[in-house]
Amino acid sequence: MTLAAVSDAGPLIHLAEIDSIELLSAFDSLLIPETVYEEIERGGLPDGIADLSYERVEAEGTEVEFEELDAGERAAIAVAREREVVLLTDDLAARESASADGIEVHGSIGVIALGYGRGLLDRDEAASRMRALQRETSLFVTEAVVERGIRMLDKQ
Amino acid sequence: MAAEISDRVREIAEARELPESEVFERALERGLEDLWEDLVLARYIDGELDREEAVERVGRTKVERVERERDLVEEDVDWGLNA
Repeated sequence: MTLAAVSDAGPLIHLAEIDSIELLSAFDSLLIPETVYEEIERGGLPDGIADLSYERVEAEGTEVEFEELDAGERAAIAVAREREVVLLTDDLAARESASADGIEVHGSIGVIALGYGRGLLDRDEAASRMRALQRETSLFVTEAVVERGIRMLDKQ
Repeated sequence: MAAEISDRVREIAEARELPESEVFERALERGLEDLWEDLVLARYIDGELDREEAVERVGRTKVERVERERDLVEEDVDWGLNA
């Protein structure tokens, strides 16, 4: 099955912070809205993004009903809706808004699990990267929740 | 790291006009509170503590937040393993 996704800035930054941006190659197609690209470019492009295969796209319209979200999140939701692809975001509000709109949404932890599921990582490496995501990045997630996610890897 | 901690303690003590010992005491209290909440939430997530007790110890907002996180992480891992 072909797997396509559009990402807002969060997963690109968080995965880069733990040297795991290459896991986004698990997607057959990765889209980055221009607004998101400009946003991350302002803070310095994350390491490893140059080696990644992705397409920069224009969002057809920013969604007025998501005024509480930032421009990058709105653009990513617009692309996900228009192209019917998975939305990657680590922002809780963006995730809940997009989910309520019928869009399939996942975050950086899902990308690590995907890397494991597709054989890019072994179990220990996937667990180690999930812990790094919790400890070494600005992503807020409770340690016990990450440990629960790691235990789910063992049940596969 | 040790030097950085000393510098910060000194700066906070000067800015707040407190003795450095008071800054250490407050830091310990604040850090201990975080560790305590982590422990309560971990016990709740692991099923060792019921919801009511967890709410009583750390408050409803934190329990609801960790429940949302748990649901999203489970959803993500399940998807990642089966996509």
